[in-house]
Amino acid sequence: MQKLTKEIQDTAKKLLEENKVDLVVGFAKGSLPLRSTPYFARTAEQAEELVWNQFCENNLANYLKKREEKVAVVAKGCDIRAIVALIKENQINRDNLYIIGVTCQGMIDRNKADELVNGKEILETETNGEEIVLKGKDLEQKAKVEELLYDTCTRCAYGNPVIYDELIGEEQPAKEPNFEDIEKFEALSAEERAQYLAKEMEKCIRCYACRNACPMCYCDTCFVDESTPQWISKRANSAKDNLIFQGVRVFHQLGRCADCGACERACPMGINLSLLTRKGVKDVKETYGYEAGLNPDDKPVLSDFETDDPQPFLMKE
Amino acid sequence: MAYEPKIVAFLCNWCSYAGADLAGIGRLQYPTNLRVVRIPCSGRINPLFIFSALRNGADGILTSG
Amino acid sequence: MSTKRTGSVLVLGAGIAGIQASLDLAESGYYVHLVESSPAIGGVMPALDKTFPTNDCSMCILSPKLVDCGRHLNINVMTTSELIDLEGEPGNYKAKVKTRARYVDPAKCTGCGSCTEECPVKVDDDFNQGLSKRKAIYKQYAQAYPNAYAIDKNKCLKFKNAKACGKCLKACQAEAINHEMEDEINELEVGAVILMPGFDAYDASKLDYYGYGKVPNVITSLEFERILSASGPFGGHLIRPSDEKEPKKIAWIQCVGSRNCKNDHGYCSSVCCMYSIKEAVIAKEHSEHDLDTAIFYMDMRTYGKEFEKYYNRAQEEQGVRFVRNRVYELTEGEDGSVKIRYALEDGSIQYEEFDMVVLSVGLEPKGEAVELAKKLGIELNQYNFCEAKPLTGINTNKEGIYVAGAFSGPRDIPETVMQASAAAGEAQALLSEAKGTLTKAKEYPAETDVAGEIIRTGVFVCHCGINIAGVVDVPNVVDYAKELPGVVLSTNKIYACSQDSSGQIKEAIKEHNLNRVVVASCSPRTHEPMFQETLKEAGLNPHLFELTNIRDQCSWVHMDEPEKATEKAKDLVKMAVNKVALAKPVQPVKLDMNHDVLVIGGGVSGMTNALNLAEQGYQVNLVEKEQQLGGIARRLHYGLKGEDVQGYLNQLINQIEQNNNIKVYTGQEIADVNGFVGNFTTTLTDGQQIEHGVTVIATGSQEYQPQEYLYGENHRVKTLLELETEIADGQLDKVNNVVLIQCVGSRDSERPYCSRICCTKSIKTALKIKERRPEAKVYILYRDIRTYGFYEDLYTEARQKGVIFIRYSEDNKPVVENVEDGLRVTVTDHVLGEPVEIYTDEIGLASAIVPPVENNQKLSKFYKVPLNEDKFFLEAHLKLRPVDFSTEGVFMCGLSHGPKNLEENISQAKAAAGRAATVLAKDQITVEGKSAVVDKKKCSACGTCEQICPAKAIKVDEEEQAAVVNEALCKGCGACSSSCRCGAINVKGCTDEQIMAMLSAL
Repeated sequence: MQKLTKEIQDTAKKLLEENKVDLVVGFAKGSLPLRSTPYFARTAEQAEELVWNQFCENNLANYLKKREEKVAVVAKGCDIRAIVALIKENQINRDNLYIIGVTCQGMIDRNKADELVNGKEILETETNGEEIVLKGKDLEQKAKVEELLYDTCTRCAYGNPVIYDELIGEEQPAKEPNFEDIEKFEALSAEERAQYLAKEMEKCIRCYACRNACPMCYCDTCFVDESTPQWISKRANSAKDNLIFQGVRVFHQLGRCADCGACERACPMGINLSLLTRKGVKDVKETYGYEAGLNPDDKPVLSDFETDDPQPFLMKE
Repeated sequence: MAYEPKIVAFLCNWCSYAGADLAGIGRLQYPTNLRVVRIPCSGRINPLFIFSALRNGADGILTSG
Repeated sequence: MSTKRTGSVLVLGAGIAGIQASLDLAESGYYVHLVESSPAIGGVMPALDKTFPTNDCSMCILSPKLVDCGRHLNINVMTTSELIDLEGEPGNYKAKVKTRARYVDPAKCTGCGSCTEECPVKVDDDFNQGLSKRKAIYKQYAQAYPNAYAIDKNKCLKFKNAKACGKCLKACQAEAINHEMEDEINELEVGAVILMPGFDAYDASKLDYYGYGKVPNVITSLEFERILSASGPFGGHLIRPSDEKEPKKIAWIQCVGSRNCKNDHGYCSSVCCMYSIKEAVIAKEHSEHDLDTAIFYMDMRTYGKEFEKYYNRAQEEQGVRFVRNRVYELTEGEDGSVKIRYALEDGSIQYEEFDMVVLSVGLEPKGEAVELAKKLGIELNQYNFCEAKPLTGINTNKEGIYVAGAFSGPRDIPETVMQASAAAGEAQALLSEAKGTLTKAKEYPAETDVAGEIIRTGVFVCHCGINIAGVVDVPNVVDYAKELPGVVLSTNKIYACSQDSSGQIKEAIKEHNLNRVVVASCSPRTHEPMFQETLKEAGLNPHLFELTNIRDQCSWVHMDEPEKATEKAKDLVKMAVNKVALAKPVQPVKLDMNHDVLVIGGGVSGMTNALNLAEQGYQVNLVEKEQQLGGIARRLHYGLKGEDVQGYLNQLINQIEQNNNIKVYTGQEIADVNGFVGNFTTTLTDGQQIEHGVTVIATGSQEYQPQEYLYGENHRVKTLLELETEIADGQLDKVNNVVLIQCVGSRDSERPYCSRICCTKSIKTALKIKERRPEAKVYILYRDIRTYGFYEDLYTEARQKGVIFIRYSEDNKPVVENVEDGLRVTVTDHVLGEPVEIYTDEIGLASAIVPPVENNQKLSKFYKVPLNEDKFFLEAHLKLRPVDFSTEGVFMCGLSHGPKNLEENISQAKAAAGRAATVLAKDQITVEGKSAVVDKKKCSACGTCEQICPAKAIKVDEEEQAAVVNEALCKGCGACSSSCRCGAINVKGCTDEQIMAMLSAL
């Protein structure tokens, strides 16, 4: 990790010093343990603050949209998939973007760490390769990094960036996307599924953190905020409307969602949001063999039509 | 009273709506539960229309085009 | 001719050809009298189930044209009418038209059908080929225009005895029926006449060995169409008419009344191969169990665009059996089955039984049409078809009288439509000085500004006689509507569509200051334009209107549930009231129009097209990539009917060069294109820019350069075009043996299409060789001989003159080898089943017609027009829009569309001119204006709409960083709106708010 941090800093410094970019978007050390924070470095000195560790969970694609200046970004696999999808949608100008791709083994889920130490306060961490030590007052708990990773990260098949201008870190072994969670959900009866979703949606407080964390949600006016017509109630008291909110979000994400898990990480109520987004990801992959953000040159799958497209929704008996 | 679902149909003006007309010309009888919304093309159907119909009390949606 | 020409045209026959020609003429500035002998327009198409090769429902694709034609201000539809005399000269004819009494006034009849329910007389329904009954008062078919009934005088009881009946009179609340009506004769002044009377099906009972009329379950192909049709006698349920059993095995017998010299029907009917395949394929689709289908044929003639692929799919994917044979006899088998006795190619006699046999009957000219043609002095051919003058496509021997469709020879729908537009094109050119002199335009009062007004909706609920009121409680619905928000008037009408109702609605609008109108009656598809007209006449914008359908989609389909139907009608009215409250005026969009033309390609097609449009008075830019005009025709010497092609070509080039309206650019290609219909800017390779309103692509095709049969290795192996030049130069005058090989580069996996003209061309070449040197032996090695139409006569002649035909199959092609003093061809003969060796001096290869792929791809991108799989240009609709692209203002003709012979290319070139004129004749481009609108503030410029729009009417503007709609191109489908996540796009006349308002009425 130290080595990666050094390499990122050096690259950033060089880019800024040579005026190749005006800004480097990356991560700096967070003010709390188990956290890194998005950081904008505009000078070589500021670039010294950049870090890389297993808490760099935010999707930095969010900060790159509609920028006029030349920007470099420190980006992991999922960030880059979102970047690719955003380039296709005219939200990021590839010509003004320098991608410092970082290979990624997954980010650590704070909630899992908290659970492991039974809610004791973690003040410091120390990583040694595949092991992490969580330290605090009367606390020193060792754990395997792998066991603390976000669920989204454990299922991720894109530890290696799909495009980049410079690559940092060792290549990760290839993996196949894993949809066991969705398959399990699909195996439930319609009633069970409805019940589960209703329960999850009752938790929603409509804070819209999911939407704001999502790199692909960038509309100026979200449909939930519309008043002519008012599609759904603006209050959180109807689980049905909450489900419409999430349901339409999934529709809007079809063929675009990079499956980065930012929505779920942002949710303060712990709603299983990736269940919905990933169902969309899985269906698009199964139906059209398409995954978002892998190829800058193809057409977004739902904007394209071929006469031999599978149309299983028309064929169902 | 037996359960009577309400169905909303979004029908393309050029094909399905014409088909529904033809059903009338042929006096084909079907249940009265259907409410047809005529649209210029099935491409006009925003997913939100479907949610809205359900929200407004529809039990099922037919889209055809 | 010194007199001024008349700006109107008489179109005889209102089948698809008549309708197309009428629309083309009326849209380009000419008044049309459309004369049709039956009580409704439509011709044969309404009776067909599906159409090949797209399998579109025939009625579905036709009905928009019926409505357009029927409602057109400049088309005078005259049904139950016939042309009885014609005098005068080209440009100024006097036509006498007799209109037989219909006994129902179409202006009063609402088509409600109450009369027919009461009528006690049952008659065989001709429309259903006699497979079901209709009444003595009847409408020809459900969707007929005029939507009015007629009385069959010979069957009506009242005509036999005035006191006998009269039930219909009582049933008709519109008082449209009048048994006293008399025949009328009108004299019309017209500038030109187009004859498109259509065809009759061959009467199969004339050939007794087919058993038609004697053996049960032997039916004709037209009967089979009705059986398949959902609106037919059995509701689309595939059963035998004799015992209503579902057949498990059906056979089709080809060439019934065609290719039969003994019966004076020596010609090929051209369409039967394809329609039989289609019927077999659709029958399989209709059948709930595995249906065995077999087509008994001599040559499979799938020569049209996309036909060969249809044939291949039928064979390989759908499992239709094809049996090459000669049928001897059909006899009655067991359990109503039909036994076929036939011979295979090897001469062996076979028997097979089928549950049903369909006779693929041919086409023949209509008796009345033949009589009329004779009276008018129009020349007919030996079969009484009015074959067009050579190399004109559609001209008769009389100037100013044109012929199109099946009356000039058997042909399918696309070619019929093409000819119809071509005939319109010729009439437009002839009458150009009188353009716009007789057409009418309607004037309306100034529109009331309703902006900011409180909603004041008027609701009119129609009884439709008893059609609605017999089921729905109309007064109840009227009362209900009174309480709905914004409604200030709610009332009922016996027939909302009648003349006096229209007047009453106008008065109500004034009296109650209505600014929104809802009519609850029948289908907006048929009646919305009429009511909108009423609003316009009352000074209201026509889009402040809603028509809700409580008849076709309520009273008619819920006849046994009056209470529930009433509840539904109330809901429908509420939905309409909610929707109309949010309606805003929509204004038509007008854009300036450039009236110049760009024709790309200076071959015969491009030149013919340019010349026609120039004669119509338009400035034409003709671009040719070679240094010389002429295209591939420069290599042709003999036309298929013996015409002198070079003489014709030189004359055509001369006419082009002499015409002041045509500017020719040779040695130029297209380098760049900008704009859209009415406003194109095209840049040529030398940098010159041409501004034009329409584009015609006539870039032609090439001859395939064979890789097979030692072509290019042995100088004695030539393509047909090369051989033709040698014959013309006299180089073959001493030849002893010539072998012509068919399908070289066609009908294979690489080019799975038929090149259409090679069979006829080869036979013509063979006859030419025989003419020059009768003792020469000419062999034609073929897969199917596809001498469609009258070209069949050439095939007959060739066989009579000793040309030897040997069939080979695709998997066993002939082998050509070098031998001393010449060539040896080995081919397996299908009759003998053994290899035959032919020693020959010359080989002619019928090599394929191939598109210039790169060039076509380039133009395809420039003008946003598609190519098909074979890289020919792909028209907007294979059946009904054969020269249009879906991109407006761009047309095509000639070989760029697909293989065709010279005659057909000329016809298509004129058709493209006829169609282009409908655009060019407009002062401005006007669109209805129900287009998409973008809210720039909400748009995030993601470009999804741009990718999705099928009309290419929306684009992200770099400067604005928002999507911008080109209203001239937008069709208002709303696909952009529903795919816009940001809610930035709405559709005028069908906004999100309006749909929500309707849903909130649930």
